[in-house]
Amino acid sequence: MGSRFDRRILPWLLLAPALLVVFGLVVYPVGRTVWLSFRAAGLPYLASGQSRFVGLDNYRDLLTNAHLREVFLTTAGFGFACVAATMAAGLAVALLLDQRFKGRALLGVLVLLPWAVPRVAAGTVWRWMFDDQYGLVNWTLSHLGHDFAGFSWFNDRWPAFIAVGVVVVWQSFPFVALSLLAGLQSIPPEVKEAARIDGAGPLQMLRHVTLPMLRPLLLTLVVVSTIWDFKIFDQVYVMTGGGPYRSTELVAITVWREAFARLHLGTAAALAVALFAVLLVMTIGYGRLARDEVPGGRGVSPRQRRREPLGPGGRGVSPRQRRREPLGTAR
Amino acid sequence: MKRRPAATVALYAAVVVVALFAVAPFAWMFLTSIKPDGEIFSRTPSLWTGSPQFGRYTDVLDAGFATALRNSLIVATGTTVAGVAVAALAGYALARFDIPLRRYLLLMVMGVQMFPLVVLIIPLFVVMKALGLLDSWVGLVVAYLSFTTPLAVWLLRSFFETIPKELEEAAMSDGATRFGAMVRVIFPLAGPGLAATAIFSFIAAWNEFLFALTFVKKENLRTLPVALSAFVGQEQADWGAIMAGSVMFTIPVVIFFLAVHRRLTTGMVAGSVTG
Repeated sequence: MGSRFDRRILPWLLLAPALLVVFGLVVYPVGRTVWLSFRAAGLPYLASGQSRFVGLDNYRDLLTNAHLREVFLTTAGFGFACVAATMAAGLAVALLLDQRFKGRALLGVLVLLPWAVPRVAAGTVWRWMFDDQYGLVNWTLSHLGHDFAGFSWFNDRWPAFIAVGVVVVWQSFPFVALSLLAGLQSIPPEVKEAARIDGAGPLQMLRHVTLPMLRPLLLTLVVVSTIWDFKIFDQVYVMTGGGPYRSTELVAITVWREAFARLHLGTAAALAVALFAVLLVMTIGYGRLARDEVPGGRGVSPRQRRREPLGPGGRGVSPRQRRREPLGTAR
Repeated sequence: MKRRPAATVALYAAVVVVALFAVAPFAWMFLTSIKPDGEIFSRTPSLWTGSPQFGRYTDVLDAGFATALRNSLIVATGTTVAGVAVAALAGYALARFDIPLRRYLLLMVMGVQMFPLVVLIIPLFVVMKALGLLDSWVGLVVAYLSFTTPLAVWLLRSFFETIPKELEEAAMSDGATRFGAMVRVIFPLAGPGLAATAIFSFIAAWNEFLFALTFVKKENLRTLPVALSAFVGQEQADWGAIMAGSVMFTIPVVIFFLAVHRRLTTGMVAGSVTG
């Protein structure tokens, strides 16, 4: 059935535009950035493409330049802190949504909302909530008995990072919570029942039954969150602009500033490549871990895990498609 | 199981705290946008307003937000149409033909989700400058295809795979070509999948900030997020106006998001992890 054209040529014609996009807009730029990271390039490069090979100098800068080194450490510290807070908040909310109470479905939808907000809008709104004079946060904290009246969150490094961190967690806990809820709901009731008969209290249940069964899923979510939180740009740009005195710069912000404000294109490229490499290593490491995990079968089976979290809508997804969701461990 | 009364109280207290944390910023955003200035800039913020005013919305639109809204709509729509067209063809090919590239598709999707956009930005800037695409809608659309296409291909391929092969085979035995069968039989059946993919692409393009900030310098070509961030950066920030702008920027995307969030979860997780 089907002509020779249909079998041999048509598939490639159909793929051609997508391949063009992928090679032109992804593969080529990545390769070019790697190339640029070995070169000294400034304004002349943007103007007429002039640059000079400098070997590993740009990478050496990353290690020797105090600011760049600090940016990396800051990004890692801030990123992991956000991941920890997101996981804690997500797990708590998932456990809450796993209880029976009135308004559970509504809470499921409300919790979803922060995730839907564009990052720039989230940064903007929270920037206003954290306003020193008229902000809701200072007002609330003052009412709770702490004197935060007029406290400037953005004049100092640590408070500024706390404010940005709150936004990051606010936007990323819904995804973690709903994924974990789906995991919780897929734990067979018999398992919990058996543990209960053996006299396990709620905390023991969490520690010895629930968390071990969710392990593969938790691992996945930690990796996804880490990838997101290491790339943060928008929220920082809107809330602090990297200030005061570049003290809240994260890698993505620094890459952008080095490239487009200071025109140190080689340095910027090396920074970007280093960030990419770190994320790549973490992802591959995760892939290994996940693969080792599967045959033991300690976790919930991938099929069970795919049960839907509660929430609105959900029409139009066929059971087949739902099954393909590669949430969780690698295949 | 019955709960003790103390546990019930604790449970509902937790529910209220979580709900407030999730929703308070929305409420505050909207409330600020309709409060009179005197109530906004007050040491004791009021949690309600007796005299709502919606005039700020038209003021903000007149102050340049209408142009930004137009730019965002054009760029997001352009990205959606171009991306879905490209991805539908590729997704079909990957779903129906035995193509060696299949194995690399997931890798590609994963890679694009994983790496930071700053890795692409310098070469894209240089190429666009050379092609005269800086400060243009087309330039942004092209740049956005870099991150919407791989995921769209992935979503559509899995959708096409749910449609039985027999349908095209029947059409082809009635004399249709493979291409004709694809366009007239399969694409219409894939309506929901195409719609979900389109919404996903639209949201991604609507929200994008980094490329929009870098590739467009002319004020009259700015998209919404860039216009909004410029508002915030001003010395005497007019928070009422900024919040009105934020509402207009956020609402459409929240509605879209609620319609497709499940599929989006799929894509993101697919994109970010599986090895």
